[in-house]
Amino acid sequence: MAALATGGATPSDGATSFQRKVPASSRLAAIAGTRPSVRHGQLLLSSGLPSLDCVLGGGLAVGTLLLIEEDKYGIYSNLLFKYFLAEGIVCGHNLFVASAKEDPADILKELPAPLFDDVHKNQVDEKETAIKSKQESQESMKIAWRYQNLPKMEVSPAASARFGHYYDVSKTVSPELLKSIKWHRFFLPEEMSLHPEIKTCNMTCGYTRLLQSIQRIIYQEGFDGSYPQKKQKNILRIGIQSLGSVLWGDDICCTDNPEDIFSLTKFLYVLRGLLRMSLSACIITVPAHLIQNKAIMERVTNLSDTVVGLESFIGSERETNPLYKDYQGLIHVHQIPRLNSLICDVSGTKDLAFRLKRKQFTIEFADHQPCASQKEHILTFKHRLSFRASS
Amino acid sequence: PPPPPPYFIEQAARGSPTSQHGAAQGRASRSVCGTVAVRCEVIGRRRRRGAGEEGVGCWASWWLGQRGGLVLIEDTIECEGRSLLKTFVAASAHRGESVHVFGFEIPEEEFRAGFDPDVTVRLLYQDGFTDPLRWTGEAGGFCGEEFTALGVSGQLARGPAGPATVVLDSLSWLLLRQPLPAVCQALGRIPMAAASAGLRVTRILALLHGDLHPPGLVETLRSLARAVVGVGPAPEGVGSGGDTPRLASMLQRKETGKVLEKEEYFTILAGFTPKALGEPTGSVPRDEDTDPHSMADPAANLTFNLRLSDTERRARDGVPLPFHFSAQKKSSLLEASASAGKIYYEPDAADDLDEEDPDDDLDV
Repeated sequence: MAALATGGATPSDGATSFQRKVPASSRLAAIAGTRPSVRHGQLLLSSGLPSLDCVLGGGLAVGTLLLIEEDKYGIYSNLLFKYFLAEGIVCGHNLFVASAKEDPADILKELPAPLFDDVHKNQVDEKETAIKSKQESQESMKIAWRYQNLPKMEVSPAASARFGHYYDVSKTVSPELLKSIKWHRFFLPEEMSLHPEIKTCNMTCGYTRLLQSIQRIIYQEGFDGSYPQKKQKNILRIGIQSLGSVLWGDDICCTDNPEDIFSLTKFLYVLRGLLRMSLSACIITVPAHLIQNKAIMERVTNLSDTVVGLESFIGSERETNPLYKDYQGLIHVHQIPRLNSLICDVSGTKDLAFRLKRKQFTIEFADHQPCASQKEHILTFKHRLSFRASS
Repeated sequence: PPPPPPYFIEQAARGSPTSQHGAAQGRASRSVCGTVAVRCEVIGRRRRRGAGEEGVGCWASWWLGQRGGLVLIEDTIECEGRSLLKTFVAASAHRGESVHVFGFEIPEEEFRAGFDPDVTVRLLYQDGFTDPLRWTGEAGGFCGEEFTALGVSGQLARGPAGPATVVLDSLSWLLLRQPLPAVCQALGRIPMAAASAGLRVTRILALLHGDLHPPGLVETLRSLARAVVGVGPAPEGVGSGGDTPRLASMLQRKETGKVLEKEEYFTILAGFTPKALGEPTGSVPRDEDTDPHSMADPAANLTFNLRLSDTERRARDGVPLPFHFSAQKKSSLLEASASAGKIYYEPDAADDLDEEDPDDDLDV
């Protein structure tokens, strides 16, 4: 199904010539960067990665929590975190960035730059050409010649009216774009130094302050509907980096018997309550490979909505495995939320791998067979087509 | 400025992070040396075995890559790491930085033994060994509880201004007496607290005894550290007699997100200078360019032929496809996409076009 934004697409975009027939008076004031889900009627946000949106069933629902289990060196989880925040910048949402390791201003400076339509249209992905037979050149197609003047669908990112954008990892976002949005910060050492009267090794202290800060922002900015006269609603994207690590004051990463085994789970419970009652979505990265007591991760998974685990091949023996030679790691989708339904209707595929290129982070099926005559990308492209068909 | 030591090949200012805010002294020494391309490869698809100078260049790249990060030297009871720590101290002092050592395990004289005089001048020792619990009530010295960001930066402020390196000998001593979250938070805040006092902490070196702590704690510290060097005993036969060769496995995490892993034999000469002794002959380098040929060819062992020869391929190309329109019809179809639809009819061989109207035959 074509991704119909609520405004429809004009033929000059080249995307589709179908227009949704909606009488102008009854059109709801849509929030930028969201689209309604056809499955469960919730408002969906893009997670910053169109391929992750496909895997999650269209996107991240507003009011839910996306938990990322970090890979061993935290490289790719940090990248997903940045994609989420960068998507918020492009859509004009408000951001709330919390970290105990890096200053949130530095995190925002290093966000990847978005790719807009005219830049990317010229760079055709090789996979799309492989779907046609070998003798067809790009300029004149023999079989599908009616389509040769149309731009490539669903590869070129459009301007911010579209759902889901592509980012260039090698460039950082421009400061003007950063200034155009409103964002809030929480940096734990700064908060601790402002109020040093509480002991620093009290681990629930960091979490309590963070919850208070989030609640204050939600109330003050009216994300929970406390200012009904405010016509233009907006979404708050919350990003919390490395929750549960020692820098937050929690020792679940170092011992089997931590001092307060339930502080992280209590935090998640309260956070999810805050998210459900406001127009916000949250991404949290957790260093799951360091948490010693495995029961904690089970509880954390239960208390979150969407849980995605990353496993990178750096330093492991899978690196030299020829099956994985194009990929940088595996993605495990541990949980998808069941909103307004009894079952989650996303296909339970288990073998997803990700590949990071400069301009694209794609998630594909990992078990492809190499084709003798052509490159193996035909099969991967077919699987990506099937992602689109189901969403 | 003192002549740079021969074993350190430094990179000229090529946009490396330290070059932007180096001290004048550091810049002078850097301009003397030439450039070298440090080739520690990412543990990605290839594992190349490098030449001897890569190892020494690798030591240099450690210094250039650190920016206020934690460097962890992990040793065990089989192989001590304090001598390696002292080589880093000597290198830091030779670069013109002041070195603040917080010593808890060995007395000051033992730590200072073996250094060159120009190194000991830059060494500022905080004594946590003599009286760790402050029983004698004497002034001076450093207590374990004082290890907070403010306490440490207070001690640093007493030294000379300029870049400083903080050395912890050892971190294990602190971790056995204080909880890990507090120590890690303090370590993270030391550069910030020092910056607010006007100092610049370039790196924090810490010695950790890996077998004293539970594995979760060691893993957590490794994930926090910018660089980890694990020291272990080397097998016999490495290096010439008289040296005690050791194996260093280094893991470095760069700001760009890349992770470098390297293993190397080394030994320490007099004056605490390291000497690389080559790499262990572990894994065979696998070149991925040979892989497509070794991949299983699915059309190989079949009872029917799935392959095409060249003549067959050309014959396949020559088959006329259905709906194969002439060139001008194609172009007119492509151009007229915006206007109303036109009908194009091309009769083929079996068609019989009769211009007469069949209704004329009707007799009504």
